[in-house]
Amino acid sequence: MNRLRVLKLGWEFPPLINGGLGIACLGLSQALAKHVDLRVIVPRAAPDSGFEGFQLTGLNNLRVEDLQTVEGRYRYESFAQIDRVPIHLDPYDSDETTVERVRMEPGGEIRFSQTTRNQLEQFKMGELYGADLSTKVIEFSKIAAKLALQTDFDIVHAHDWMTFLAGVEVKKATGKPLVLHVHASQYDRAGVDARGWIYDLEKYGMEQADIVIPVSRYTGQICSGHYGIDPAKIRPVHNGAEPVKVFSTKKKFPEKLVLFLGRLTAQKGPEFFLEIASKVLEQNKNVRFVMAGTGERLKPLIESGAFRGLGGYFHFTGFLNKEKVNELLSMTDIYCMPSVSEPFGLSALEAAQFGIPAVISKQSGVAEVLKGALKADFWDVELMAKHIIDLLTDDELRERVIKQAEQDMAASTWDAAAETVVEIYRELVP
Amino acid sequence: MPDVCLYFQVHQPNRLIPYDFFRIGEHAFYEDDGVNGEILSKVAEKCYLPANALFQKAIRESRGRFRMALSISGTVIEQMEHHRPDVLKSFQDLVATGNVELLAETYYHSLAILHSKKEFERQVERHLDKLEEVFHIRPRVFRNTELIYNNAIAAQAETMGFDGILAEGVPWVLNGQSPNYLYRAPQVSQLKTLLRNVDLSDDLGFRFSDKTWSEWPLTPEKLAGWIKNAPGDVVNLFMDYETIGEHQWKDTGIFEFWEKLPDAVLDEDIKWVTPSEVVDLFRASKEYDCHWPTSWADAERDLSAWMGNVMQQEAIAKIHKLEEEVLAAKDPDLTHAWAKMQTSDHFYWMSTKGGTDGSVHQYFSPYGSAYDAYIYFMNALADLQIRLKRIREAKAAAAG
Repeated sequence: MNRLRVLKLGWEFPPLINGGLGIACLGLSQALAKHVDLRVIVPRAAPDSGFEGFQLTGLNNLRVEDLQTVEGRYRYESFAQIDRVPIHLDPYDSDETTVERVRMEPGGEIRFSQTTRNQLEQFKMGELYGADLSTKVIEFSKIAAKLALQTDFDIVHAHDWMTFLAGVEVKKATGKPLVLHVHASQYDRAGVDARGWIYDLEKYGMEQADIVIPVSRYTGQICSGHYGIDPAKIRPVHNGAEPVKVFSTKKKFPEKLVLFLGRLTAQKGPEFFLEIASKVLEQNKNVRFVMAGTGERLKPLIESGAFRGLGGYFHFTGFLNKEKVNELLSMTDIYCMPSVSEPFGLSALEAAQFGIPAVISKQSGVAEVLKGALKADFWDVELMAKHIIDLLTDDELRERVIKQAEQDMAASTWDAAAETVVEIYRELVP
Repeated sequence: MPDVCLYFQVHQPNRLIPYDFFRIGEHAFYEDDGVNGEILSKVAEKCYLPANALFQKAIRESRGRFRMALSISGTVIEQMEHHRPDVLKSFQDLVATGNVELLAETYYHSLAILHSKKEFERQVERHLDKLEEVFHIRPRVFRNTELIYNNAIAAQAETMGFDGILAEGVPWVLNGQSPNYLYRAPQVSQLKTLLRNVDLSDDLGFRFSDKTWSEWPLTPEKLAGWIKNAPGDVVNLFMDYETIGEHQWKDTGIFEFWEKLPDAVLDEDIKWVTPSEVVDLFRASKEYDCHWPTSWADAERDLSAWMGNVMQQEAIAKIHKLEEEVLAAKDPDLTHAWAKMQTSDHFYWMSTKGGTDGSVHQYFSPYGSAYDAYIYFMNALADLQIRLKRIREAKAAAAG
């Protein structure tokens, strides 16, 4: 068998990251590079970010002349169906954002246009997610298609909706098979009623793809159930977790510590955490709850906590950097993740590395990985509270959960994930 | 023609450090000493020192006919002792003229009366002791934090032996009557209530520099004329001392105004009197029936500046809930740290009101938002709880 050549399309990439997507892309890329020849294209790469084993191209570092050889060879088929729309969506914004509902408008073919300096310039400044995100997504697709025409590869692999359009364009331009990786969907971000341009793009992309890789079986069910994608082409692959340097810090207070870590947005279920805390504290005052992170729900959550009289036992830290997060993990006794919809939930694995037993919602991908974690439906605050009280009082149970997590962790590597992904590639390119 | 009674409030709170979660259990000093010293110095330079000098001069040049009252909280006296003894000395000199009456209040400028009579009495006693020690004076008239007042508080002040109490002349309680008389609360026999003349006091405190105000610019002669033509026995001008030079900046002409006001008033044959003189001079023939607590804060003139939202309500309830345990620990430092957290400003900064009042709350806040104020306060409170728990456990260990 020849070594496969893979063209990967990503949106954010370390060190320029907003959330978990970039970290997952890097983890998978590094592991894949051991098996395949890999080129990664992203809108923006740090100029001096040399990664071993694969080639990283940021459109911000590209010159107009670089595309000269392929100008004129391709018409943009997909754009014929999509009207450019003003859209503001920043998944990591701390204020409420509204997603404008838009229509796909069938129209005439869009004629080829020469890539201009301006098109490339836009990837050099501003936010990766921002007011002009829709323009960036479309421009990224055009340029990625041209770059693909210059590249020899066997398979194109695109990560999350911002790159799906590009993936489809590359497939149409080159005829190569398309693999789409779903790290999170609009369903996870905006709930059951999510519709609009992004939803349409995700659905269109997954329909055009040869294989869809969701990060969990849970997300796979969303792909088939919510987006109507044929289950036969869905292959869930769990994320890996980079080993972190773990340490433990002695708490400066006598109580146990239960941690919620994440953006304070409805889908992460912070309101449920508040309710769980309230239930636990009714029975056991020997515990403190910490809500780490920020987001558009912060102020209402603070007021709700005060209304429930949790102050003094329920603490808000606001945004924490990585170092502070690790300090917090090093003194945490129980990790609680009551997400309403969590495609994967890497943070629970990171907590597990610190030897912290987890209480997590069934509506999460990581629930499939951490077999021993105590689980409940996100809305079942009674059961969540019971799990926490059990872990606080039953040391044997606690040990069992930690032991099981250690075993599960051992299997959760990017190498394992990459091997499965390569098997999937081989289905398409034997 | 009424007399005129002038009283200024002098107070500074102890602002907390940004007390984040990671400090809980190990950082037992909650206050931002640097910031508190800095703000005291700033206010001293802009207001306390020049205003004290101004009134010294007014007393001297009027040969004692100019008189006024100050209420100086225990927390600001401590800050002056600690950071600026020279400023305290300037207050002592002013009081030593004999023409400046001091009023009693809660040492910690707190809302204790609303939560615990015992703690309220403890704080008033402590304040009396402090005034005795620093100024060698024992006040006869009481003023509660931010003029918080109702029938029950008046009765409490009488029980504690005061002859007079200050209150806001709230229009909806006055019901058309003039604030320029002495009033009596129902169920008190001796104590007299002095009501703030809201209109004239706020002309000086708030509208003075407002160029859109139809009476701008306000001159000492104009104000003296208004007082002369006012009905009643006494016009009570009550306001923050910081009005001079801090809330109304120097360039508004506030100092020139106050330099001339004492004489302008005397020229109209109006007498300057202090609260205890008012109590001695006039009969309280009318009843002022105030059931709900009122104050001089915000448009509502009620408690909503400190207890208007759930964060404020929780914070204040929880700090007072510790009373029994704190006092039982018999640790003066711990008690003091706890009591300083009762200072009303902590809760004032947690207000989420909007509009003009909201911007006043924000102007005085050392924190980024009401939510930060709440979070830092509750974290410090958690630390206090842990200290109490440790004391409890140590005691149990010693006993067992």
